[in-house]
Amino acid sequence: MNQAVIQLMVSGALMGLVYALVAYGFQLTYATSKSINFGQGELVMLSAFFSLTLTNLGLPYYLMIPGGLLFGVVAGLFVERAGVRLALEQKSEGWILMTIILGLFGVSAAENIWGRDDRPFPTPIPTEPMQFFDISITPLEISVAIGVVMIMVIIELFKRKTLLGKAFEAVSADRDAAELMGISATRTIMLSYGLSGLVAALAGILVSPITTVGPTMASALVLKAFSVAVVAGLESGFGVVIVGLFLGSLESLTSFYVGSGWREAPGLVLLILALAVRPTGIFGKAVIRKV
Amino acid sequence: MLVVNDLYAGYGMSEVLMGTSLAVKRGTVVALIGPNGAGKTTTMRTISGGINPTRGEILLDGKPVQGLEPSQIARLGLAHAPEGRKVFGPLSVEDNLLLGAFTRLPHFFGFQAKAAGDLDKIYELFPRLKERRRQTSGTLSGGEQQMLAIGRALMARPKVVLLDEPSMGLAPVIVDEVFDIIRRLKGSGITLLLVEQSAKRALEVADYAYVMERGRIAVEGVPQELQKNERVIAAYLGN
Repeated sequence: MNQAVIQLMVSGALMGLVYALVAYGFQLTYATSKSINFGQGELVMLSAFFSLTLTNLGLPYYLMIPGGLLFGVVAGLFVERAGVRLALEQKSEGWILMTIILGLFGVSAAENIWGRDDRPFPTPIPTEPMQFFDISITPLEISVAIGVVMIMVIIELFKRKTLLGKAFEAVSADRDAAELMGISATRTIMLSYGLSGLVAALAGILVSPITTVGPTMASALVLKAFSVAVVAGLESGFGVVIVGLFLGSLESLTSFYVGSGWREAPGLVLLILALAVRPTGIFGKAVIRKV
Repeated sequence: MLVVNDLYAGYGMSEVLMGTSLAVKRGTVVALIGPNGAGKTTTMRTISGGINPTRGEILLDGKPVQGLEPSQIARLGLAHAPEGRKVFGPLSVEDNLLLGAFTRLPHFFGFQAKAAGDLDKIYELFPRLKERRRQTSGTLSGGEQQMLAIGRALMARPKVVLLDEPSMGLAPVIVDEVFDIIRRLKGSGITLLLVEQSAKRALEVADYAYVMERGRIAVEGVPQELQKNERVIAAYLGN
Protein backbone atom coordinates (compact mmCIF):
# COMPACT_ATOMS: atom_id res chain seq x y z
CA MET A 1 0.00 0.00 0.00
CA ASN A 2 1.33 3.39 -0.81
CA GLN A 3 1.45 6.46 1.33
CA ALA A 4 -1.65 8.14 -0.08
CA VAL A 5 -3.87 5.16 0.55
CA ILE A 6 -2.80 4.89 4.16
CA GLN A 7 -3.24 8.61 4.64
CA LEU A 8 -6.77 8.45 3.24
CA MET A 9 -7.65 5.47 5.37
CA VAL A 10 -6.42 7.09 8.57
CA SER A 11 -8.36 10.33 8.00
CA GLY A 12 -11.45 8.37 7.01
CA ALA A 13 -11.16 6.05 9.99
CA LEU A 14 -11.23 9.02 12.37
CA MET A 15 -14.49 10.17 10.82
CA GLY A 16 -15.68 6.58 11.12
CA LEU A 17 -15.17 6.77 14.89
CA VAL A 18 -17.77 9.54 14.99
CA TYR A 19 -20.22 7.32 13.11
CA ALA A 20 -19.44 4.63 15.65
CA LEU A 21 -20.23 7.00 18.52
CA VAL A 22 -23.60 7.95 17.05
CA ALA A 23 -24.33 4.26 16.40
CA TYR A 24 -23.39 3.55 20.00
CA GLY A 25 -26.17 5.94 21.01
CA PHE A 26 -28.60 3.65 19.19
CA GLN A 27 -27.25 0.64 21.04
CA LEU A 28 -27.66 2.23 24.47
CA THR A 29 -31.40 2.67 24.18
CA TYR A 30 -31.90 -0.52 22.22
CA ALA A 31 -30.27 -2.40 25.09
CA THR A 32 -32.92 -1.40 27.61
CA SER A 33 -36.04 -0.92 25.54
CA LYS A 34 -35.56 -2.41 22.05
CA SER A 35 -36.30 1.09 20.79
CA ILE A 36 -33.99 3.65 19.17
CA ASN A 37 -34.17 7.38 18.61
CA PHE A 38 -34.42 7.93 14.87
CA GLY A 39 -33.79 11.59 15.60
CA GLN A 40 -30.33 10.83 17.00
CA GLY A 41 -28.65 12.79 14.17
CA GLU A 42 -30.80 15.82 14.90
CA LEU A 43 -29.85 15.51 18.54
CA VAL A 44 -26.17 15.63 17.49
CA MET A 45 -26.89 18.72 15.41
CA LEU A 46 -28.93 20.55 18.06
CA SER A 47 -26.32 19.84 20.72
CA ALA A 48 -23.61 21.16 18.40
CA PHE A 49 -25.58 24.36 17.76
CA PHE A 50 -26.26 24.77 21.46
CA SER A 51 -22.57 24.32 22.23
CA LEU A 52 -21.67 26.83 19.51
CA THR A 53 -24.02 29.34 21.13
CA LEU A 54 -22.37 28.75 24.51
CA THR A 55 -18.99 29.39 22.88
CA ASN A 56 -20.26 32.56 21.23
CA LEU A 57 -21.53 33.74 24.61
CA GLY A 58 -17.89 33.69 25.69
CA LEU A 59 -17.79 30.43 27.60
CA PRO A 60 -14.32 28.83 27.44
CA TYR A 61 -14.07 25.54 25.53
CA TYR A 62 -13.66 23.31 28.58
CA LEU A 63 -16.70 24.80 30.31
CA MET A 64 -18.73 24.65 27.11
CA ILE A 65 -18.28 20.87 26.88
CA PRO A 66 -20.18 20.02 30.11
CA GLY A 67 -22.86 22.53 29.09
CA GLY A 68 -23.27 20.89 25.70
CA LEU A 69 -23.33 17.42 27.23
CA LEU A 70 -25.97 18.48 29.73
CA PHE A 71 -28.08 19.76 26.85
CA GLY A 72 -27.73 16.35 25.19
CA VAL A 73 -28.85 14.53 28.34
CA VAL A 74 -31.90 16.78 28.78
CA ALA A 75 -32.80 16.42 25.09
CA GLY A 76 -32.44 12.64 25.33
CA LEU A 77 -34.73 12.55 28.38
CA PHE A 78 -37.21 14.74 26.53
CA VAL A 79 -37.28 12.34 23.58
CA GLU A 80 -37.94 9.43 25.93
CA ARG A 81 -40.75 11.20 27.75
CA ALA A 82 -42.40 12.80 24.73
CA GLY A 83 -41.88 10.20 22.06
CA VAL A 84 -41.11 6.81 23.48
CA ARG A 85 -42.55 6.09 26.91
CA LEU A 86 -46.22 5.96 26.03
CA ALA A 87 -45.61 3.82 22.95
CA LEU A 88 -43.56 1.32 24.95
CA GLU A 89 -46.14 1.14 27.71
CA GLN A 90 -48.74 0.22 25.12
CA LYS A 91 -46.33 -2.20 23.45
CA SER A 92 -46.74 -0.24 20.23
CA GLU A 93 -44.15 0.69 17.59
CA GLY A 94 -45.33 4.30 17.69
CA TRP A 95 -41.90 5.41 18.93
CA ILE A 96 -40.53 5.00 15.39
CA LEU A 97 -42.77 7.69 13.96
CA MET A 98 -42.60 9.83 17.09
CA THR A 99 -38.80 10.00 17.15
CA ILE A 100 -38.69 10.77 13.42
CA ILE A 101 -41.20 13.59 13.97
CA LEU A 102 -39.25 14.97 16.92
CA GLY A 103 -36.15 14.91 14.69
CA LEU A 104 -37.90 16.85 11.90
CA PHE A 105 -39.13 19.28 14.50
CA GLY A 106 -35.54 19.66 15.67
CA VAL A 107 -34.36 20.56 12.16
CA SER A 108 -37.07 23.21 11.80
CA ALA A 109 -36.23 24.62 15.20
CA ALA A 110 -32.54 24.78 14.31
CA GLU A 111 -33.24 26.52 10.99
CA ASN A 112 -35.42 29.09 12.74
CA ILE A 113 -33.10 29.73 15.64
CA TRP A 114 -29.67 29.46 14.03
CA GLY A 115 -30.37 29.76 10.28
CA ARG A 116 -29.75 27.44 7.38
CA ASP A 117 -26.08 28.15 6.86
CA ASP A 118 -23.23 25.95 7.89
CA ARG A 119 -21.10 27.65 10.48
CA PRO A 120 -17.54 27.12 11.63
CA PHE A 121 -17.12 25.73 15.14
CA PRO A 122 -14.11 27.29 16.87
CA THR A 123 -11.80 25.07 18.88
CA PRO A 124 -8.63 25.75 20.85
CA ILE A 125 -7.16 22.40 19.80
CA PRO A 126 -4.49 22.97 17.12
CA THR A 127 -5.28 21.98 13.55
CA GLU A 128 -1.74 21.99 12.12
CA PRO A 129 -0.93 18.46 10.98
CA MET A 130 1.74 16.48 12.78
CA GLN A 131 3.73 13.71 11.14
CA PHE A 132 3.64 10.13 12.42
CA PHE A 133 5.59 7.72 10.20
CA ASP A 134 4.90 10.04 7.23
CA ILE A 135 1.16 10.12 7.94
CA SER A 136 -0.16 13.53 8.84
CA ILE A 137 -2.71 13.78 11.60
CA THR A 138 -3.98 16.92 13.30
CA PRO A 139 -4.22 17.15 17.09
CA LEU A 140 -7.90 17.91 16.51
CA GLU A 141 -8.38 14.53 14.86
CA ILE A 142 -6.53 12.85 17.71
CA SER A 143 -8.84 14.58 20.18
CA VAL A 144 -11.82 13.10 18.34
CA ALA A 145 -10.39 9.60 18.58
CA ILE A 146 -9.55 9.99 22.26
CA GLY A 147 -12.97 11.47 23.05
CA VAL A 148 -14.86 8.68 21.32
CA VAL A 149 -12.84 5.84 22.82
CA MET A 150 -12.88 7.37 26.29
CA ILE A 151 -16.64 7.81 26.54
CA MET A 152 -17.28 4.34 25.17
CA VAL A 153 -14.85 2.72 27.60
CA ILE A 154 -16.44 4.60 30.51
CA ILE A 155 -19.98 3.58 29.52
CA GLU A 156 -18.98 -0.03 28.85
CA LEU A 157 -17.32 -0.22 32.27
CA PHE A 158 -20.49 1.20 33.79
CA LYS A 159 -22.59 -1.44 32.06
CA ARG A 160 -20.38 -4.37 32.99
CA LYS A 161 -19.01 -3.46 36.39
CA THR A 162 -21.80 -1.65 38.21
CA LEU A 163 -25.02 -3.14 39.49
CA LEU A 164 -27.03 -0.45 37.74
CA GLY A 165 -25.34 -1.40 34.48
CA LYS A 166 -26.28 -5.03 35.00
CA ALA A 167 -29.82 -3.84 35.70
CA PHE A 168 -29.76 -2.36 32.17
CA GLU A 169 -29.21 -5.81 30.78
CA ALA A 170 -31.80 -7.33 33.10
CA VAL A 171 -34.46 -4.91 31.83
CA SER A 172 -33.45 -5.78 28.29
CA ALA A 173 -33.64 -9.53 28.96
CA ASP A 174 -36.97 -9.53 30.78
CA ARG A 175 -38.63 -6.28 31.69
CA ASP A 176 -41.31 -7.82 33.93
CA ALA A 177 -38.87 -9.98 35.87
CA ALA A 178 -36.60 -6.98 36.38
CA GLU A 179 -39.53 -5.09 37.88
CA LEU A 180 -40.04 -7.97 40.33
CA MET A 181 -36.45 -7.43 41.53
CA GLY A 182 -37.33 -3.82 42.37
CA ILE A 183 -35.67 -2.46 39.23
CA SER A 184 -37.85 0.26 37.74
CA ALA A 185 -37.91 -0.39 33.99
CA THR A 186 -39.16 3.13 33.30
CA ARG A 187 -36.26 4.71 35.13
CA THR A 188 -33.72 2.42 33.52
CA ILE A 189 -35.03 3.29 30.07
CA MET A 190 -34.97 6.99 30.98
CA LEU A 191 -31.37 6.67 32.04
CA SER A 192 -30.44 4.95 28.79
CA TYR A 193 -32.02 7.75 26.77
CA GLY A 194 -30.16 10.30 28.86
CA LEU A 195 -26.87 8.49 28.21
CA SER A 196 -27.72 8.22 24.54
CA GLY A 197 -28.30 11.98 24.44
CA LEU A 198 -24.97 12.55 26.17
CA VAL A 199 -23.20 10.44 23.58
CA ALA A 200 -24.92 12.34 20.75
CA ALA A 201 -23.91 15.68 22.22
CA LEU A 202 -20.31 14.55 22.57
CA ALA A 203 -20.32 13.40 18.93
CA GLY A 204 -21.57 16.85 17.93
CA ILE A 205 -18.94 18.69 19.94
CA LEU A 206 -16.14 16.46 18.64
CA VAL A 207 -17.06 16.43 14.97
CA SER A 208 -18.23 20.02 14.47
CA PRO A 209 -14.79 21.69 14.34
CA ILE A 210 -13.97 19.34 11.43
CA THR A 211 -17.27 19.37 9.52
CA THR A 212 -18.81 22.74 10.53
CA VAL A 213 -22.29 22.99 12.08
CA GLY A 214 -25.48 23.17 10.04
CA PRO A 215 -29.04 21.86 10.03
CA THR A 216 -28.16 19.33 7.32
CA MET A 217 -25.33 17.68 9.24
CA ALA A 218 -27.89 15.45 10.93
CA SER A 219 -29.07 13.44 7.96
CA ALA A 220 -25.59 12.79 6.59
CA LEU A 221 -24.36 11.56 9.95
CA VAL A 222 -27.34 9.49 10.99
CA LEU A 223 -27.51 7.50 7.77
CA LYS A 224 -23.94 6.30 8.18
CA ALA A 225 -24.36 5.72 11.87
CA PHE A 226 -27.36 3.62 11.05
CA SER A 227 -25.36 1.56 8.54
CA VAL A 228 -22.68 1.03 11.17
CA ALA A 229 -25.23 -0.02 13.77
CA VAL A 230 -26.96 -2.48 11.46
CA VAL A 231 -23.75 -3.97 10.05
CA ALA A 232 -22.20 -4.34 13.50
CA GLY A 233 -25.39 -5.46 15.20
CA LEU A 234 -27.20 -3.61 17.96
CA GLU A 235 -25.43 -5.34 20.85
CA SER A 236 -21.70 -4.93 20.52
CA GLY A 237 -19.97 -1.66 21.40
CA PHE A 238 -16.69 -3.13 20.18
CA GLY A 239 -18.43 -4.05 16.93
CA VAL A 240 -19.52 -0.51 16.08
CA VAL A 241 -15.98 0.76 16.56
CA ILE A 242 -14.55 -1.83 14.16
CA VAL A 243 -17.27 -1.30 11.56
CA GLY A 244 -17.08 2.48 12.01
CA LEU A 245 -13.32 2.48 11.35
CA PHE A 246 -13.85 0.26 8.33
CA LEU A 247 -16.68 2.31 6.85
CA GLY A 248 -14.85 5.58 7.45
CA SER A 249 -11.74 4.41 5.58
CA LEU A 250 -13.77 2.87 2.78
CA GLU A 251 -15.68 6.09 2.34
CA SER A 252 -12.59 8.19 2.18
CA LEU A 253 -10.99 5.85 -0.39
CA THR A 254 -14.16 5.78 -2.48
CA SER A 255 -14.49 9.52 -2.55
CA PHE A 256 -10.85 9.93 -3.62
CA TYR A 257 -10.58 7.20 -6.23
CA VAL A 258 -14.14 6.98 -7.57
CA GLY A 259 -15.33 10.51 -7.06
CA SER A 260 -16.66 12.54 -4.16
CA GLY A 261 -20.22 12.07 -5.42
CA TRP A 262 -19.91 8.38 -4.49
CA ARG A 263 -19.00 9.17 -0.91
CA GLU A 264 -22.31 7.97 0.49
CA ALA A 265 -22.34 4.76 -1.52
CA PRO A 266 -20.22 2.40 0.64
CA GLY A 267 -22.40 2.94 3.69
CA LEU A 268 -25.58 2.15 1.80
CA VAL A 269 -24.06 -0.86 0.02
CA LEU A 270 -22.86 -2.24 3.36
CA LEU A 271 -26.30 -1.63 4.87
CA ILE A 272 -28.05 -3.53 2.08
CA LEU A 273 -25.52 -6.36 2.19
CA ALA A 274 -25.89 -6.70 5.94
CA LEU A 275 -29.68 -6.77 5.78
CA ALA A 276 -29.59 -9.35 3.00
CA VAL A 277 -26.92 -11.65 4.42
CA ARG A 278 -26.83 -11.22 8.17
CA PRO A 279 -29.63 -9.11 9.65
CA THR A 280 -28.41 -9.59 13.23
CA GLY A 281 -25.14 -7.88 12.28
CA ILE A 282 -21.60 -9.23 12.21
CA PHE A 283 -21.20 -8.91 15.96
CA GLY A 284 -24.83 -9.58 16.81
CA LYS A 285 -25.40 -12.51 19.11
CA ALA A 286 -27.63 -15.29 18.01
CA VAL A 287 -30.18 -15.71 20.76
CA ILE A 288 -29.45 -18.73 22.91
CA ARG A 289 -32.51 -19.93 24.73
CA LYS A 290 -32.93 -23.16 26.56
CA VAL A 291 -36.12 -24.11 28.30
CA MET B 1 -47.84 -10.60 56.92
CA LEU B 2 -49.66 -10.80 53.61
CA VAL B 3 -53.42 -10.32 53.46
CA VAL B 4 -55.57 -10.34 50.34
CA ASN B 5 -59.13 -9.09 50.75
CA ASP B 6 -61.94 -9.59 48.26
CA LEU B 7 -59.72 -9.15 45.21
CA TYR B 8 -61.10 -8.61 41.70
CA ALA B 9 -58.71 -8.51 38.76
CA GLY B 10 -58.32 -9.70 35.20
CA TYR B 11 -57.01 -9.00 31.76
CA GLY B 12 -58.93 -6.34 29.86
CA MET B 13 -62.60 -7.22 29.87
CA SER B 14 -62.26 -10.71 31.26
CA GLU B 15 -62.32 -10.93 35.04
CA VAL B 16 -60.27 -13.79 36.38
CA LEU B 17 -60.32 -13.08 40.10
CA MET B 18 -63.77 -12.62 41.58
CA GLY B 19 -63.45 -11.92 45.24
CA THR B 20 -60.32 -13.82 46.23
CA SER B 21 -59.30 -13.55 49.87
CA LEU B 22 -56.38 -15.21 51.60
CA ALA B 23 -53.84 -14.59 54.32
CA VAL B 24 -50.25 -15.68 54.89
CA LYS B 25 -49.05 -15.44 58.48
CA ARG B 26 -45.45 -14.65 59.33
CA GLY B 27 -43.21 -17.70 59.20
CA THR B 28 -45.72 -20.00 57.52
CA VAL B 29 -45.86 -21.78 54.21
CA VAL B 30 -49.24 -21.40 52.53
CA ALA B 31 -50.21 -23.37 49.44
CA LEU B 32 -52.60 -22.17 46.76
CA ILE B 33 -53.86 -25.07 44.69
CA GLY B 34 -56.56 -25.62 42.12
CA PRO B 35 -57.16 -26.49 38.49
CA ASN B 36 -55.69 -24.72 35.46
CA GLY B 37 -57.33 -21.38 34.80
CA ALA B 38 -58.67 -21.01 38.36
CA GLY B 39 -56.66 -17.80 38.76
CA LYS B 40 -53.69 -18.94 40.86
CA THR B 41 -51.02 -17.24 38.78
CA THR B 42 -53.25 -14.20 38.28
CA THR B 43 -53.51 -13.94 42.08
CA MET B 44 -49.72 -14.00 42.34
CA ARG B 45 -49.24 -11.46 39.58
CA THR B 46 -51.83 -9.14 41.10
CA ILE B 47 -50.16 -9.34 44.52
CA SER B 48 -46.76 -8.43 43.04
CA GLY B 49 -48.19 -5.55 41.02
CA GLY B 50 -48.10 -6.91 37.47
CA ILE B 51 -51.88 -6.57 37.22
CA ASN B 52 -53.90 -3.74 38.73
CA PRO B 53 -56.87 -5.03 40.70
CA THR B 54 -60.23 -3.49 39.89
CA ARG B 55 -61.42 -3.98 43.46
CA GLY B 56 -60.13 -5.26 46.74
CA GLU B 57 -57.14 -4.78 48.94
CA ILE B 58 -53.66 -6.26 49.34
CA LEU B 59 -51.81 -5.64 52.60
CA LEU B 60 -48.11 -6.33 52.88
CA ASP B 61 -47.00 -6.12 56.49
CA GLY B 62 -50.10 -4.00 57.16
CA LYS B 63 -49.50 -1.54 54.32
CA PRO B 64 -51.83 -1.44 51.30
CA VAL B 65 -49.86 -2.10 48.12
CA GLN B 66 -52.57 -2.51 45.49
CA GLY B 67 -52.03 -0.20 42.51
CA LEU B 68 -48.29 0.25 43.12
CA GLU B 69 -45.67 -0.57 40.48
CA PRO B 70 -44.07 -4.02 40.82
CA SER B 71 -40.70 -2.40 41.55
CA GLN B 72 -42.22 -0.40 44.42
CA ILE B 73 -43.85 -3.49 45.92
CA ALA B 74 -40.54 -5.36 45.63
CA ARG B 75 -38.85 -2.57 47.56
CA LEU B 76 -41.42 -3.00 50.33
CA GLY B 77 -40.25 -6.57 50.87
CA LEU B 78 -42.08 -8.85 48.47
CA ALA B 79 -40.11 -11.26 46.30
CA HIS B 80 -41.87 -13.08 43.49
CA ALA B 81 -40.24 -16.05 41.76
CA PRO B 82 -42.52 -16.06 38.73
CA GLU B 83 -44.01 -18.87 36.73
CA GLY B 84 -41.62 -19.96 34.01
CA ARG B 85 -38.67 -18.86 36.21
CA LYS B 86 -37.80 -15.79 34.12
CA VAL B 87 -34.07 -15.78 34.82
CA PHE B 88 -32.05 -13.11 33.02
CA GLY B 89 -30.72 -15.41 30.29
CA PRO B 90 -27.81 -13.37 28.94
CA LEU B 91 -26.45 -12.65 32.43
CA SER B 92 -24.33 -14.95 34.56
CA VAL B 93 -25.76 -16.90 37.49
CA GLU B 94 -24.02 -14.65 39.96
CA ASP B 95 -25.24 -11.46 38.24
CA ASN B 96 -28.78 -12.83 38.42
CA LEU B 97 -28.39 -13.36 42.16
CA LEU B 98 -26.86 -9.90 42.68
CA LEU B 99 -29.77 -8.31 40.84
CA GLY B 100 -32.11 -10.14 43.19
CA ALA B 101 -30.71 -7.94 45.93
CA PHE B 102 -30.88 -4.79 43.76
CA THR B 103 -32.96 -2.84 46.25
CA ARG B 104 -30.53 -3.42 49.12
CA LEU B 105 -27.18 -3.01 47.39
CA PRO B 106 -25.20 0.05 46.32
CA HIS B 107 -25.86 0.60 42.62
CA PHE B 108 -22.35 1.51 41.54
CA PHE B 109 -19.44 0.18 43.57
CA GLY B 110 -18.89 -2.21 46.43
CA PHE B 111 -22.01 -4.27 45.81
CA GLN B 112 -20.06 -7.53 45.49
CA ALA B 113 -18.52 -7.07 48.92
CA LYS B 114 -21.83 -6.18 50.51
CA ALA B 115 -23.58 -9.16 48.93
CA ALA B 116 -20.85 -11.70 49.71
CA GLY B 117 -22.54 -13.04 52.85
CA ASP B 118 -25.89 -13.49 51.14
CA LEU B 119 -24.26 -15.15 48.14
CA ASP B 120 -22.54 -17.64 50.44
CA LYS B 121 -25.87 -18.54 52.01
CA ILE B 122 -27.50 -19.07 48.63
CA TYR B 123 -24.55 -21.13 47.38
CA GLU B 124 -24.73 -23.26 50.52
CA LEU B 125 -28.39 -23.94 49.78
CA PHE B 126 -27.73 -24.52 46.07
CA PRO B 127 -24.22 -25.93 45.57
CA ARG B 128 -24.97 -26.42 41.87
CA LEU B 129 -25.35 -22.66 41.43
CA LYS B 130 -21.94 -22.11 42.97
CA GLU B 131 -20.35 -24.48 40.46
CA ARG B 132 -22.01 -22.57 37.68
CA ARG B 133 -21.78 -19.05 39.05
CA ARG B 134 -19.93 -17.68 36.00
CA GLN B 135 -22.10 -19.52 33.48
CA THR B 136 -24.70 -17.71 31.38
CA SER B 137 -27.97 -18.49 33.11
CA GLY B 138 -29.82 -19.08 29.83
CA THR B 139 -27.74 -22.24 29.33
CA LEU B 140 -28.72 -23.80 32.68
CA SER B 141 -31.08 -26.76 32.82
CA GLY B 142 -34.70 -26.19 33.81
CA GLY B 143 -34.10 -27.41 37.36
CA GLU B 144 -31.04 -25.22 37.78
CA GLN B 145 -32.97 -22.23 36.47
CA GLN B 146 -35.68 -22.92 39.06
CA MET B 147 -33.05 -23.02 41.81
CA LEU B 148 -31.67 -19.74 40.47
CA ALA B 149 -35.13 -18.13 40.43
CA ILE B 150 -35.64 -19.15 44.08
CA GLY B 151 -32.13 -18.02 45.04
CA ARG B 152 -32.63 -14.71 43.28
CA ALA B 153 -35.86 -14.12 45.20
CA LEU B 154 -34.16 -14.94 48.52
CA MET B 155 -31.30 -12.52 47.84
CA ALA B 156 -33.67 -9.63 48.52
CA ARG B 157 -34.09 -10.87 52.16
CA PRO B 158 -37.81 -10.49 51.54
CA LYS B 159 -40.58 -10.42 54.11
CA VAL B 160 -42.77 -12.58 51.88
CA VAL B 161 -41.85 -14.87 48.98
CA LEU B 162 -44.28 -15.81 46.22
CA LEU B 163 -43.27 -19.00 44.46
CA ASP B 164 -45.24 -19.84 41.34
CA GLU B 165 -45.27 -23.39 39.93
CA PRO B 166 -41.75 -24.40 40.91
CA SER B 167 -42.27 -27.93 39.58
CA MET B 168 -43.46 -26.89 36.12
CA GLY B 169 -41.77 -28.83 33.35
CA LEU B 170 -39.28 -30.56 35.64
CA ALA B 171 -38.45 -34.25 35.96
CA PRO B 172 -39.81 -35.91 39.14
CA VAL B 173 -36.35 -36.30 40.69
CA ILE B 174 -35.72 -32.59 40.24
CA VAL B 175 -39.14 -31.75 41.67
CA ASP B 176 -38.15 -33.74 44.78
CA GLU B 177 -35.03 -31.62 45.06
CA VAL B 178 -37.03 -28.41 44.73
CA PHE B 179 -39.42 -29.51 47.48
CA ASP B 180 -36.51 -30.49 49.71
CA ILE B 181 -35.30 -26.93 49.35
CA ILE B 182 -38.75 -25.57 50.19
CA ARG B 183 -38.78 -27.75 53.31
CA ARG B 184 -35.38 -26.42 54.36
CA LEU B 185 -36.56 -22.84 53.81
CA LYS B 186 -39.62 -23.59 55.90
CA GLY B 187 -37.33 -24.80 58.67
CA SER B 188 -35.50 -21.49 58.56
CA GLY B 189 -38.77 -19.59 59.08
CA ILE B 190 -39.59 -18.30 55.60
CA THR B 191 -42.98 -16.70 54.88
CA LEU B 192 -44.04 -18.30 51.62
CA LEU B 193 -47.06 -18.37 49.35
CA LEU B 194 -46.72 -21.36 47.05
CA VAL B 195 -48.76 -21.93 43.93
CA GLU B 196 -48.50 -25.50 42.76
CA GLN B 197 -50.05 -27.72 40.15
CA SER B 198 -49.06 -30.81 42.06
CA ALA B 199 -51.52 -30.50 44.94
CA LYS B 200 -50.24 -33.58 46.74
CA ARG B 201 -46.71 -32.25 47.07
CA ALA B 202 -47.92 -28.75 48.02
CA LEU B 203 -50.12 -30.11 50.83
CA GLU B 204 -47.22 -32.16 52.19
CA VAL B 205 -45.11 -29.06 52.79
CA ALA B 206 -47.73 -26.40 53.63
CA ASP B 207 -48.95 -25.19 57.03
CA TYR B 208 -52.21 -24.02 55.53
CA ALA B 209 -53.80 -24.28 52.11
CA TYR B 210 -56.37 -22.63 49.89
CA VAL B 211 -58.15 -24.38 47.03
CA MET B 212 -59.04 -21.99 44.25
CA GLU B 213 -61.85 -22.51 41.74
CA ARG B 214 -63.04 -20.06 39.10
CA GLY B 215 -61.50 -16.98 40.67
CA ARG B 216 -62.58 -17.66 44.25
CA ILE B 217 -61.34 -19.62 47.21
CA ALA B 218 -63.55 -22.72 47.31
CA VAL B 219 -62.10 -24.57 50.29
CA GLU B 220 -59.45 -23.72 52.83
CA GLY B 221 -57.91 -25.37 55.83
CA VAL B 222 -54.89 -27.13 57.27
CA PRO B 223 -53.51 -29.81 54.94
CA GLN B 224 -54.54 -32.69 57.24
CA GLU B 225 -58.18 -31.64 56.87
CA LEU B 226 -57.98 -31.01 53.15
CA GLN B 227 -56.37 -34.38 52.60
CA LYS B 228 -59.52 -35.90 54.11
CA ASN B 229 -61.95 -33.58 52.33
CA GLU B 230 -63.78 -35.70 49.76
CA ARG B 231 -64.19 -32.90 47.28
CA VAL B 232 -60.50 -32.12 47.34
CA ILE B 233 -59.57 -35.78 47.06
CA ALA B 234 -61.85 -36.29 44.11
CA ALA B 235 -60.64 -33.22 42.25
CA TYR B 236 -56.94 -32.96 43.01
CA LEU B 237 -55.47 -35.81 44.95
CA GLY B 238 -57.00 -38.75 43.08
CA ASN B 239 -55.86 -42.28 43.60
